[in-house]
Amino acid sequence: MKRTKISTSGASAIFWVAVGILTCYGATRLGLGSVTEPGAGFIFFWSGLILVLLSLMVLVDSIRSAEHMVGDMEKINWAKIALILLSLLLYAFFLERLGFVLTTFILLSFLLGWIERTNWARSLGVASAAVLACFAIFELWLKIRLPKGIFGF
Amino acid sequence: MLESLASLLYGFDIALQPQNLLYCFIGVTMGTLVGVLPGIGPTATIALLLPATFSLNPISAIIMLSGICYGAMYGGSTTSILLNIPGEASSVVTCFDGYQMARQGRAGAALGISAFGSFIAGTFSIFGLILLAPTLADFALKFGPPEYFALMVMGLTVVAYLARKSMAKALMMAVFGIILGCVGLDPITATPRFTFGILELADGIGIAPVVMGLFGIAEVLENLGVLTKAAVFAGKLKGLFPNREDWRRSIGPITRGSLLGFFLGLLPGVGAIVPQFLSYALEKKLSRHPEQFGNGAIEGVASPEACNNAAVGGTFIPLLSLGIPSTAMTAILLGALMIYGLTPGPLLIKNSPDLFWGVIASMYIGNLMLLILNLPLIPLWVRVLKIPYSYLSTFIILFCLIGAYSLNNSTTDIYIAVVFSIVGLLLKKFAFEPAPLVLAFVLGPLLETALRRSLILSDGSLLIFLQRPISAGFILFAVVVLVAPLFSHIRLGRGLSEED
Repeated sequence: MKRTKISTSGASAIFWVAVGILTCYGATRLGLGSVTEPGAGFIFFWSGLILVLLSLMVLVDSIRSAEHMVGDMEKINWAKIALILLSLLLYAFFLERLGFVLTTFILLSFLLGWIERTNWARSLGVASAAVLACFAIFELWLKIRLPKGIFGF
Repeated sequence: MLESLASLLYGFDIALQPQNLLYCFIGVTMGTLVGVLPGIGPTATIALLLPATFSLNPISAIIMLSGICYGAMYGGSTTSILLNIPGEASSVVTCFDGYQMARQGRAGAALGISAFGSFIAGTFSIFGLILLAPTLADFALKFGPPEYFALMVMGLTVVAYLARKSMAKALMMAVFGIILGCVGLDPITATPRFTFGILELADGIGIAPVVMGLFGIAEVLENLGVLTKAAVFAGKLKGLFPNREDWRRSIGPITRGSLLGFFLGLLPGVGAIVPQFLSYALEKKLSRHPEQFGNGAIEGVASPEACNNAAVGGTFIPLLSLGIPSTAMTAILLGALMIYGLTPGPLLIKNSPDLFWGVIASMYIGNLMLLILNLPLIPLWVRVLKIPYSYLSTFIILFCLIGAYSLNNSTTDIYIAVVFSIVGLLLKKFAFEPAPLVLAFVLGPLLETALRRSLILSDGSLLIFLQRPISAGFILFAVVVLVAPLFSHIRLGRGLSEED
């Protein structure tokens, strides 16, 4: 168990080392300029370098001790989270194509009925009411332009 | 002093206009609501409402958004006391004694003293703001790019120092925030930087989708299956007005909490959470009956509640007088000021006195509204808390998506929000704090510009940061903050979270 905690903290540090190195690499391609005239990549390079150094400190620390333990990862319902995220990405994809009203109705029905296991009749009812309320508040009252899509609503 | 009072009267003239009164009311009510609800905080709410304020004039908009900031502090205590779950991160400490008081049948007194304490502290911090902000702004006129750079570096190191987990990890988040904040066109050469050919990223990553993802959707994902069975206080609420004995015991803690919160809130990076823990520890130390703390001591509610409200007032000072946000919440407000075409900084008070004094006067009116409305509305908040979390979480997600989209009418921002929700969830699970990331994200472009200008000014000499006394002072403070943990194993943020 102790070894798992060290390795997860260490793994996150390795990830950040990689992010730092990639940032430095991207920064050099942008051009670092000079100290008298810093270039477009100047801030990225130094930030990336500091990120690498700090990540290495965390990595060393995680190897030496189990102090920086990771929270209760096993409690997370990854399958449910993946489904929610997928539905949100699909929402973004279809929002301008199908329009706010239809896309939002489908998303809310899915989240309430499928993810939250609310009874389907109630889910559809709440989703319809919520979509209409949002449309009234954002589009009609606050004058925020919500996408109409191919059906025009 | 007389000049400030005259300006304040001018501010009341603006704040009392019917439209501004209405938006102040909406702001404090929304703030209280999100403070009451666990799972969404004022930071995400301000970002969410940002696009909705575009049709308003900037004064009404900032009045409403500020109302959310301090309204949330009032609301957060309700959930802490009745549910033992902090509705707001800065109401954690209120759970310790507030919930115990509720269990002993004294929920009314706990809610009452929390509301009165918040009002007194809010009033105190507004007067502090009136006195200090203009003076600080005059002083800040002497600031050049090196001073601003040094101040921002100091702010970010203080945030990292106060992190409740690893300081190194908090610094990593700050650095990552700077990287993300600088994505977009180079301010001098207009070279696209880390945009990966995505046109929408040329203007940089928007603050709203980042905050929606990190603080809104990520929070919902994290709470899946956790907040479904919250036991709301079932008893009847009575005696919302504290009795004479309650007042006698609370007046000292409220005064100390107000002072501590306000002055710590002034420091860039401190925010409202750490002062609250400190005020609790202070009261426990000063008390003749420290054993009562954690078992329903009214001092343990009065002082932290006063403290977090005063701290919010304090955090407005660096924002309005220097243009430097000190918390994630004020970072969004800074973004809002920029979107409305205002230049935050020392000249804001001189160039836009109507905004500055109008907002300050509205804060006083808002605090009064909260005191008058909050206590009678508590039964309503209790009912709100009984709404199943499954509904709340779904609506939080929906509002975040609308908020992210409507800023630029772009689905790219929804994708960004979704990506940052995954980032936010993983950061929390791997014990990284998102607050330094957001603060650095907003400060990143300002920091870069200040650094590059300083280097051009000094012909490439880094000594410019040490040759100018104000800048040297800030850098020295930052170095002390960075080095201190090497010589001592006690660090403020970590020590506090472990103790309690």
